[in-house]
Amino acid sequence: MVKELTGISAATPSIRALARKHGIDVDELALELEQDRVSEADVLRKVNGGSAPSSSSGYWDVDHTQYGSGEAVPMSRFAQLAAANLTASQQHIPAVTHHDKVCMDAIESFRKTLADEGTKRGIKVTAMVFHIIALTKALQKFPTFNASLKPGGKELWLKQYCDIGIAVDTPHGLMVPVLRGADRKRIWDIAEQLSDLAKRAQDRKIKPEEMGGASISISNLGGIGGCAFSPIVNPPEVAILGLSRTAYEPVWNGTGFSPRLICPISLSYDHRVINGAEAARFCAHYATLLSDPRRLLL
Amino acid sequence: MSVQECDFVVVGAGPGGYAAAFRAADLGRSVTLIDPRPTLGGVCLNEGCIPSKALLHAAEAFRTVTDLDEWGISLRKPKLDLTTMRAKKDSIVSTLTGGLEQLAKKRKVSVLLGTATFSDATHLSVETADGNQILCFNTVVIATGSRPVILPGWPEDDPRIMDSTGALALREIPQRLAIVGGGIIGLEMATVYSAFGSEVTIIEMADQIAAGADEKCTRLLHKAMQAHGCTIHCNSRVDRVETTAKTVSLACSGAFDGTLEVNAVIQAVGRRANGDGLLAQNAGLQIDPAGVIKIDAECKTGVANIYAVGDVTGAPMLAHRATHQGKVAAENACGHKSVFDTDIIPAVAYTDPEMAWAGILPQQAKARNIDHQVSEFPWAASGRNLTSGAKPGLTRLVWHKPTQRLIGASIIGSHAGELLGELVLAIEMGATIDDLALTIHAHPTLSETTAFAAELAAGTCTDL
Ligand SMILES: Cc1cc2nc3c(=O)[nH]c(=O)nc-3n(C[C@H](O)[C@H](O)[C@H](O)COP(=O)(O)OP(=O)(O)OC[C@H]3O[C@@H](n4cnc5c(N)ncnc54)[C@H](O)[C@@H]3O)c2cc1C
Repeated sequence: MVKELTGISAATPSIRALARKHGIDVDELALELEQDRVSEADVLRKVNGGSAPSSSSGYWDVDHTQYGSGEAVPMSRFAQLAAANLTASQQHIPAVTHHDKVCMDAIESFRKTLADEGTKRGIKVTAMVFHIIALTKALQKFPTFNASLKPGGKELWLKQYCDIGIAVDTPHGLMVPVLRGADRKRIWDIAEQLSDLAKRAQDRKIKPEEMGGASISISNLGGIGGCAFSPIVNPPEVAILGLSRTAYEPVWNGTGFSPRLICPISLSYDHRVINGAEAARFCAHYATLLSDPRRLLL
Repeated sequence: MSVQECDFVVVGAGPGGYAAAFRAADLGRSVTLIDPRPTLGGVCLNEGCIPSKALLHAAEAFRTVTDLDEWGISLRKPKLDLTTMRAKKDSIVSTLTGGLEQLAKKRKVSVLLGTATFSDATHLSVETADGNQILCFNTVVIATGSRPVILPGWPEDDPRIMDSTGALALREIPQRLAIVGGGIIGLEMATVYSAFGSEVTIIEMADQIAAGADEKCTRLLHKAMQAHGCTIHCNSRVDRVETTAKTVSLACSGAFDGTLEVNAVIQAVGRRANGDGLLAQNAGLQIDPAGVIKIDAECKTGVANIYAVGDVTGAPMLAHRATHQGKVAAENACGHKSVFDTDIIPAVAYTDPEMAWAGILPQQAKARNIDHQVSEFPWAASGRNLTSGAKPGLTRLVWHKPTQRLIGASIIGSHAGELLGELVLAIEMGATIDDLALTIHAHPTLSETTAFAAELAAGTCTDL
């Protein structure tokens, strides 16, 4: 868009000079940002590796040795990239996190019945598999959660497929491989692919085409702990579901407390696309699907 | 022979050279500036921009006096005193060159009078009045400019056959004057001499005068020059020159096929870069057959610590390009990151009326397949133009359609060069049709024509 205009620059002379000082080509930056024009803020954001905005970068410019000894260790290229994406998300998305609780008793007892067959097949069916299935069903009922905003904010792109991004914690940083076509897969397939993606993510063997383009993402911290958190939406998706540790909680059943296996869920969503009531309904529906798995068949 | 240790050396004291020298001095370098001319300023101050503009001012004043009749102001028929005019022009030149000398002193730039050649990549040999000197340098900026192209086979040492420098000396006003070459310099000389009474004939090889300028504006200029009494032959060339005691005769072919008998001729067929003669090969530098030293956007030549700026680096040969390059070279040589990164270099022909342009012109936009729109405002509808002499005028703006941004501008009319400044800034700032149309321009001014042309593009103009 800008490249066709050789000699007509994407930035004013002072901004070009600033970019030059930092070794940035404004015309390339314009292409990268898909903008006609590059502003001072764009250049500074690029300089800061997409992380801290210019005005506050001073906060990080501190001589730490004056307070005690320490050591500088490099951030991996990978972590720097993730940082840029996370910052972009925080800067551009007015995100809200909605918290809810899901009763996992029925899922847990069903899951136990699959243990023998799982051993035979060499596949372990985790609760995560059911979360994915429930999520695909919930997306069908709430299509705005399976959407992206178009640039300019005048149109919403509704996706007619259901790919779930799986946030995986790896030694080199956070990765989000995508489980494609999750709505068309059976329990065993999902279970198998899930462990395959997780394993290959650890080994950095995820192919580029296995990343990006998800409908929504899930971040599962259940294996570690915690009772709630605010995951950051992975743009251009509009929502992310966070799962915390599933544990027994006393639940009032009308006459007394009974122990129930409870999974806390935290749904962060882009408030430009989804409003609060919709998010609450989405979570309630999601909870119903899992507390009575027969509903997944509906 | 002793070798003198120098830090930052600039060869040539024209606009490119002195800008590099002064900027480097301001950045803390110890600078030596070399030029054989006794005054600083190079071609621009001594025999280019400045003396030509002084004479053009005189020419305009001379013409204005006659134009005043229709205003009911009658003055005696103006008389020319060439001696006084030359002295006035020379005093303007020396005011400016003297000013440069002060600026050099203030910055402790040492000026060495002489002609430099390269011994190797770190040594220059300088021929001065007191013999040869060898300088050893850390950094050198080559700013040796350009010289007029002399047509081969023409008689030498005939004072009636002049280049631009000879023409600016203003020895006499020949009755019949031929100007070979209808570029900016040729047209400016035609403007001067026709105002003072010469019968001027311009012979131009290309199909339009002011090659490279906007075609439509150029047609207006062509007509205006004819109205001043100039005869213009495009698509024509001079094949042979013969001189007699009384006349110079030019045998021409092409659209004009015949012999032109004149009293004097100005050669204005272009300028040749002064890259040759520097023995630059001794420093490992390549000079192309046109005498041009190739540089990159940082004004680097490819040989470490050797930079080049200005006319010696090729077209467009303009003083303001040289100056900007001079600063870029000095800054890079001082460890800054600086780049000459624009194609928007304004050009002005100080003809009568003036013509000025910058950026992508309609013919170039078409050739380059740029999705564009042209909007133009004729000055016949400008109140300010009508109230101040009603010279022909046109403001033409070129817009990039997808982004609505201004990408080129061409103006013909009084003060076109001054008016262009706003448009160059607008292009550099990426201003759109609405930016220019919604900016309030004072009424009545010539700059209004800019806003009107933008309004025409926006469809909001009520003045036409
Ligand atoms: C009649 C005329 C009118 C012009 N009008 C305009 C105008 O209106 N606007 C505009 O922008 N441009 C105009 N120009 C062009 C302008 O003058 C040049 O573009 C400008 O002077 C180039 O600057 P420069 O620094 O590259 O070199 P120059 O000004 O050419 O200076 C080069 C200097 O280097 C010196 N030199 C050469 N070789 C050596 C050597 N070996 N050792 C030491 N010194 C050396 C020369 O003596 C000279 O002083 C005009 C030119 C002419 C001839």
